[in-house]
Amino acid sequence: MNRIEKMLKNKKRDIDIIEAPDALEERLRSALGDKEMTKIRRNITGKIIAACLVLVLMGYHFDTLAFYGNKLMGYNDVMNGTLKELNERGKGQVIDKSYTFKNGLSITLDGIMIDETQLLAFYTIKAPKGNVDESLPTVTLRGFLGEHMPQSGYGKINDTKTMMNNIHSFEPPGVLEKTLHMNFRFFQNGRVEEGEITFTVDRQKAMGHTLKANIHKSIKVEQGTIDIDSILASPTRTVIKGSIQNILELARDEINNERIRPNTLELKLIANDKEIQPQSGGMSTNMKGITFHHEYDALPENLKSLQLKLTRFSADHDVNKEIELTKGMKEQRINVHGQDLTIDKVYEMNGHTYITITTEEGTVLTKVYLLADDKRLELNKTSEDQYEKRKDGQILHRRTLEFKGVGKDYKMDIHRMTYVKDYNITIELPIQ
Amino acid sequence: MEEKMLVKKTKLGDKDALVQLIMNQKNDYYRLAYVYLKNNEDALDAMEDMILILYENIYTLKKNSAFYSWSKTILINCCKRILREQKRTVPLEAVKELSYEGDFEEKNNEMLLEKYLSELDERHQEVIKLRYLLDLEYKTIAEILKVPLGTIRSRIYYGISRLQEKFGGDDLEQD
Repeated sequence: MNRIEKMLKNKKRDIDIIEAPDALEERLRSALGDKEMTKIRRNITGKIIAACLVLVLMGYHFDTLAFYGNKLMGYNDVMNGTLKELNERGKGQVIDKSYTFKNGLSITLDGIMIDETQLLAFYTIKAPKGNVDESLPTVTLRGFLGEHMPQSGYGKINDTKTMMNNIHSFEPPGVLEKTLHMNFRFFQNGRVEEGEITFTVDRQKAMGHTLKANIHKSIKVEQGTIDIDSILASPTRTVIKGSIQNILELARDEINNERIRPNTLELKLIANDKEIQPQSGGMSTNMKGITFHHEYDALPENLKSLQLKLTRFSADHDVNKEIELTKGMKEQRINVHGQDLTIDKVYEMNGHTYITITTEEGTVLTKVYLLADDKRLELNKTSEDQYEKRKDGQILHRRTLEFKGVGKDYKMDIHRMTYVKDYNITIELPIQ
Repeated sequence: MEEKMLVKKTKLGDKDALVQLIMNQKNDYYRLAYVYLKNNEDALDAMEDMILILYENIYTLKKNSAFYSWSKTILINCCKRILREQKRTVPLEAVKELSYEGDFEEKNNEMLLEKYLSELDERHQEVIKLRYLLDLEYKTIAEILKVPLGTIRSRIYYGISRLQEKFGGDDLEQD
């Protein structure tokens, strides 16, 4: 057995212990409720009429979505302000190619927009039966350099559910990739249906970038530094890239048992004293360390100032702290890593031990055990979540942790913990 | 055969019989849904969707003995529908209080495995999960997914090879 199979086998152990919850039977029964069994009579004439209607409807919709000159029509509700303006100025490339699936569903790639940060695909799915929401395809883009993974996407379904307009973002194709294949894949009744639209990129329509700069600035946070590495702004959006720990720092902290794993990083981009709308973001840990990217709307045209502001950072930390507990104890406040944690209740029931705790909303004990007379009990589940908003805006989260087993003397063994910290640190970014 | 009896009863409109059929293999169904959806609430939702579809369409089931593979195909489709809906609402991954056995290295690998698995094509992801996490046989997977056996084999082979590549491919030979 190779390494991958071994890892999968380890993961299987996690699945093996999962059992259907007790509530299942009740949920199934109430789902059936007073449902009547209805037999659908097969109506062939109906089907033929439906098929004819499909053709008629498709022909009809085609006209309303056609292109007018260089502009994409029908995307007004889906495009944001920036894209609308670029579209008005004819910056997109009209493709207008369709593929029709056996079940009557059709997809039209209306057009694309390319700049240095992304390729945006604008496509319409038409489902004459009014079930467009039931069968959304997975979309991939392939050129000769390989597959371009979709980064994000969104769409809007019309009221009759016969049509959906989508915008999907992909990595931009390489300069030499002229011919691209867009692949659409549906799952239906356990089967896969695939369709492909091939198109040629018009490089003259590509928009390049408006600002590209290496930044190399750092922001100090409690647990280390956040490095802002680069900014790449294009007519469609702005991408900020950075890193939190490089591989050496990761290794050092691993040895010192002071590892952090960031969860949220809130960065605001401010241009000409106005906040730019954030669009998406992501973080990953790999051999390069911990890196992140944040995407925002496009920058304004006459750029006078540009700042990046850190407002919030939350991470998972090594804590390694034991807390003594006694049965029946009430409302004891303790401080772990500068975070308030209240033990509300400790009690036993049906052979399990329950501990009710309250913390700030963003605080989570990510690795916790209960030591009962030196036996180590595992956390079984967390339940009875309650949130309470206080007058000062702080949100408290109370929940009950269930540990399998009971004992006499208890200690809560917190290995790792996630918490949030607010910041207000601004750095200047180059504007040229 | 209890199973066939229950299916017959269900076809006559007996809801209890249908619930009984599901409850007889409740953990199999639940784990199947869980592997796709990764959380309790969605898994229960998927099973609710499934039982309604089963009840409304049981008359289309020709071979009573095929109930389990038929219903699991439907469950998988329900899960996929929920996943598609989630895709549109862009979920943020929730952090749960969990207890992780093992050292950090193992946890890292686990996280990487999860990540790499999710980067695979949906078709490859699902066969690997069904084969390795639920321990289903190739034949069963083929039945549930309604895909030829050979295709399942090649998808698993391809999926595992891709994972190996992502992990650095340094142990391709040691089998």
